Amino acid sequence: MLQKREKVLLLRTFQGRTLRIVREHYLRPSVPCNSPLCPQPAVCRNDGKLLSSDVTHYMIPDWKVVQDYLEILEFPELKGIIFMQTACQAVQHQRGRRQYNKLRNLLKDARHDCVLFANEFQQSCYLPRERGESMEKWQSRSIYNAATWYYHHCQDRMPIVMVTEDEEAIQQYGSETEGVFVISFKNYLDNFWPDLKATHELCESILQSRRERENESQESHGKEYPEHLPLEVLEAGIKSGRYIQGTLNVNKHRAQIEAFVRLQGASSKDSGLVSDILIHGMKARNRSIHGDVVVVELLPKNEWKGRTTALGENDGESPSEPMPTGRVVGILQKNWRDYVVTFPSKEEVQSQGKNARKILVTPWDYRIPKIRISTQQAEALQDFRVVVRIDSWESTSMYPSGHFVRVLGRIGDLEGEIATILVENSISVVPFSEAQMCEMPVNTTENPWKVSSEEERERKDLRKTHLVFSIDPRGCEDVDDTLSVRALDNGNLELGVHIADVTHFVTSHSYIDIEARTRATTYYLADRRYDMLPSILSADVCSLLGGVDRYAVSIMWELDKTSYEIKKVWYGRTIIRSAYKLFYEAAQELLDGNVDIVDDIPEFRDMDEKSRQAKLEELLWAIGKLTDIARHIRAKRDRCGALGLEGVEVCIQLDEKKNIHDLIPKQPLEVHETVAECMILANHWVAKKIYESFPRQALLRRHPPPHQEFFSELRECAKAKGFFIDTRSNKALADSLDNANDPNDPIVNWLLRSMATQAMSNALYFSTGSCAEEEFHHYGLALDKYTHFTSPIRRYSDIIVHRLLMAAISKDKKMEIKENLFSNKDLEELCRYINNRNRAAQHSQKQSTELFQCMYFKDKDPETEERCIADGVIYSIRTNGVLVFIPRFGIKGAAYLKNKDGLVISCSPDGHSEWKPGSLQRFQNKITSTTTGGESVTFHLFDHVTVRISVQASRCHSDTIRLEIISNKPYMMPDTELFQQSSLLLKSDLVKEVTRSMEEAQLAQEVKVNVIEKDYQKYCQTKGRSLYTLLEEIRDLALLDVSNSYGI
Amino acid sequence: MAGLELLSDQGYRVDGRRAGELRKIQARMGVFAQADGSAYIEQGNTKALAVVYGPHEIRGSRARALPDRALVNCQYSSATFSTGERKRRPHGDRKSCEMGLQLRQTFEAAVLTQLHPRSQIDIYVQVLQADGGTYAACVNAATLAVLDAGIPMRDFVCACSAGFVDGTALADLSHVEEAAGGPQLALALLPSSGQIALLEMDARLHEDQLEQVLEAAAQAARDVHTLLDRVVRQHVQEASILLGD
Repeated sequence: MLQKREKVLLLRTFQGRTLRIVREHYLRPSVPCNSPLCPQPAVCRNDGKLLSSDVTHYMIPDWKVVQDYLEILEFPELKGIIFMQTACQAVQHQRGRRQYNKLRNLLKDARHDCVLFANEFQQSCYLPRERGESMEKWQSRSIYNAATWYYHHCQDRMPIVMVTEDEEAIQQYGSETEGVFVISFKNYLDNFWPDLKATHELCESILQSRRERENESQESHGKEYPEHLPLEVLEAGIKSGRYIQGTLNVNKHRAQIEAFVRLQGASSKDSGLVSDILIHGMKARNRSIHGDVVVVELLPKNEWKGRTTALGENDGESPSEPMPTGRVVGILQKNWRDYVVTFPSKEEVQSQGKNARKILVTPWDYRIPKIRISTQQAEALQDFRVVVRIDSWESTSMYPSGHFVRVLGRIGDLEGEIATILVENSISVVPFSEAQMCEMPVNTTENPWKVSSEEERERKDLRKTHLVFSIDPRGCEDVDDTLSVRALDNGNLELGVHIADVTHFVTSHSYIDIEARTRATTYYLADRRYDMLPSILSADVCSLLGGVDRYAVSIMWELDKTSYEIKKVWYGRTIIRSAYKLFYEAAQELLDGNVDIVDDIPEFRDMDEKSRQAKLEELLWAIGKLTDIARHIRAKRDRCGALGLEGVEVCIQLDEKKNIHDLIPKQPLEVHETVAECMILANHWVAKKIYESFPRQALLRRHPPPHQEFFSELRECAKAKGFFIDTRSNKALADSLDNANDPNDPIVNWLLRSMATQAMSNALYFSTGSCAEEEFHHYGLALDKYTHFTSPIRRYSDIIVHRLLMAAISKDKKMEIKENLFSNKDLEELCRYINNRNRAAQHSQKQSTELFQCMYFKDKDPETEERCIADGVIYSIRTNGVLVFIPRFGIKGAAYLKNKDGLVISCSPDGHSEWKPGSLQRFQNKITSTTTGGESVTFHLFDHVTVRISVQASRCHSDTIRLEIISNKPYMMPDTELFQQSSLLLKSDLVKEVTRSMEEAQLAQEVKVNVIEKDYQKYCQTKGRSLYTLLEEIRDLALLDVSNSYGI
Repeated sequence: MAGLELLSDQGYRVDGRRAGELRKIQARMGVFAQADGSAYIEQGNTKALAVVYGPHEIRGSRARALPDRALVNCQYSSATFSTGERKRRPHGDRKSCEMGLQLRQTFEAAVLTQLHPRSQIDIYVQVLQADGGTYAACVNAATLAVLDAGIPMRDFVCACSAGFVDGTALADLSHVEEAAGGPQLALALLPSSGQIALLEMDARLHEDQLEQVLEAAAQAARDVHTLLDRVVRQHVQEASILLGD
């Protein structure tokens, strides 16, 4: 039975009156205690997460500890934590939603050993607040009382440690009950976790930053920034149209001065603004940081400023015409994350004055302001990349203050830099834990994985009846997809796409599922990859390798024998045995009728001549038929008025996602297209199916049509070369891009295509419940519905789609739906998360490529090394320079025509350039540099020039590539090697060379290492690795080529 | 109020109830001697008083009389001190008129009006404290009062409200939950037959979820019935002891 109590609250209304509110409060005899020691688990109704039973004590943090040290409580090493409801509510009320959500996620996370105890709803734990008792005292008293009850509830078998920051509470309760200890947090860490160094350091740094803040609030500084307005005023202002809400985007190249606010949704229509709003200067930015959701007030028109169009740090250029300018009046949501920073070097520290306990550190990301850290370890941390968090930014302080969290690695060291890229993109890739690996199936030589008889009964067996084969790049390990085609008895054809059945092994809400969801995708960096699933799944049990039995999810279409019209479709779980694991080149050779390649296919090697011939015939027929079908499917879609952008789209996507070293889209083999077409077909049909069954909670992928205004640059550029680009529809765009081909210069077309790609918006995952059906359209593929289904091994979205499809099938059969599906709201949130992770994956890939490029050029002397001089194409004109693309290395960068001393470039008749005094004049499609001597040189769009590549080293940020025009004539390559080939070769070359030189450097250091070893061990970051693993990773790179080829 | 969590991850509501649990209900019948029937009910902190007069001759204009059944006249009012803010609530304002009409519809469906043609039944309800679910409290109080007056009814009319938060239906909303602005459904049920006397909702709710919310409200109404039934039995027992049977 519930007991009713009443709580009296005194609230203050906005008008300032006090309101007496009586609220009911119901108590119950039992709430779940979630302890394995519970004497009556049935009464407590413990379901869900339990505390683990192998702890020595339970820890109950006081409200203050939860508020201030939540970061430390997040360490998975701290076990047996019971959060009291009182403490959670204190966090919710006093620390805001962000912190509270962190706590909620912690409680939900099955990997952390912590539970919530709803003490305020428990009959004997609830204490009413007494008259005159302060909130803080009452909270501590409630928590202590609940701790005592909990101790007795577990029959005094488990000692309980209550951790508090309140000295009085320690004195008062310290020795009141035996078995319930009350100590301070610092004490607790010292006594119970003396070995957990990271927590101590974190605790120390939090304490220190708090002390600093207290000191500061006592000293009354002059204010650096205006105060933020209260939330009610902001909300009212946004509604009335006085203020505008948007996300702050800092300009990377002028982080100190320029930031833009991108408008969100409706507000842009109301205010009649088309462009973004410029925020000029740090003062107007008013303590907001890149990514925050801010509220902006527009300045009067006479104070509007223009944005700068000049390149880089050269100041004093005339800005463009004024645009809406504003200032930040409040921040709605702070998007602070972990930041990688660098401590200043010794000389800089001295210049910062004696007061060196507060140190200004420089974030790796240009867009983030410097952060004040108070630490004594500054000198020791000088040569390292370090992670910090921002605590607060008071209006009295020029810079935000933060605290030190952990060390990543040495500056300039490959591992350290890679870790930096990962942290900056919020990617966390710890090795899979033991609990996660325990859920994995076993497949060893002694104990091979086998198809279970139970599954054999439930699944359709295709092992005997179908010729299944896969086509992948050479050396691919994770084969997600296989194909089959055969003639049916009634003369029709049956086309099958069989996808690895990952969801069979990854059950919903298991540890591995949670981990995969957090990773969301496999991350491919330039020299390595971080798998979403453990290799036992990704490369073995799930992978549809040749000659072994595997579970699959299949889609099979029955096609008319002549028109290839789809008559029937079947979805379901199957067992398959892939007969051949082909690679693209081999498949293409077979398709072309060139059977010599057979020797390269391992499956054929051990066959005698006769059976080999028969098998080969069979395979040849299948591949031929498959290509034929794919051709027809595409042709039919074109005929039906469907827009044929796919070919182009594939290419563009390739360029965008792929390592940019593959610049020129390889004329894709027809086999590539065949496989891609089958996958698109499968994805499309699955999308249709799951949308039909779950109209409000299906995960689909849409590609919104691009904004026409973004195409203006593309049109201008094309005009310069005399092409007309029609951007009105995707079909028109594709056609006109095909036509815009300069026979003398293939790069032109490629550049135009990449510009078109840049103008397009990204494809996104979404939940069908939160979007109107018209918006489902996929612009690039010209399909009304599309999803991702074919690569569950490396994308989490595909796993969800698999579960949806399985649920849809069982719904059709009127069976109970086994899977618990996400609701629309949860799914939408998950989609947003996956989209975000995909972006992070792309960024990290790009950044790691740039890192390798820089490392490659770093030790080359630009003056002498022949490789540093290359041919470049101008693809954009700015007021003081041009943007140049170097096809050979796939590098894009800026080249100045005016240097820091104000000298401009001039070219002698033989093309060689010098710096001379003069002026620049910019036109629509060209830029002219005139020296005082009257010589002038003009650079047009798409001109070929010779550039010298050098590396601009930077201590705090990533190194950047610098380009310098040394001649206005195209660079003649000394070797006659084919352009395309060289660039392709170079990619792996470059990575290999860089990794090897790093390795050598490390070997050379070996002697010295003994001394440094300690440091390495201390931070566990940099470890010497064997050459073998390095080479393995280089081999993995091959995966890159493929994996995106149909990953539209 | 934006930060308030109506349903925690552990399944508790703000006041400590779980999703399907009712607030504490206490009720008494026969609180006034001069009326034909009267009752007082507390549902949590919502308190309502109902009195019933009739069936009697039509008062006022005779033209209102119905030839085949009795006229049910309902009036609703709420006390100045019933909410957090003290506020004078004149008779005949829009809100109380609407509530009166709803009560009338409810009781026309439940009372066997055809037994008393050309007569009138008056039901007056006053809310003394409003803490969510006023309509439900009014209906439940009026049911007891009608029973007390001995007017024949088809069945008890039991009412309860229900809301919808994060995919879960909440029964018997309190004021805090109502103020959060989610959908809110009021249901008056004739429990033994399962017929619905009145169903009202004035917010948007997806069709698919309606059934779930409706079921939660119906279950809550059945629970209310059990409690009211107990109150009536006890009242009758006490009365019979007083009469000396």
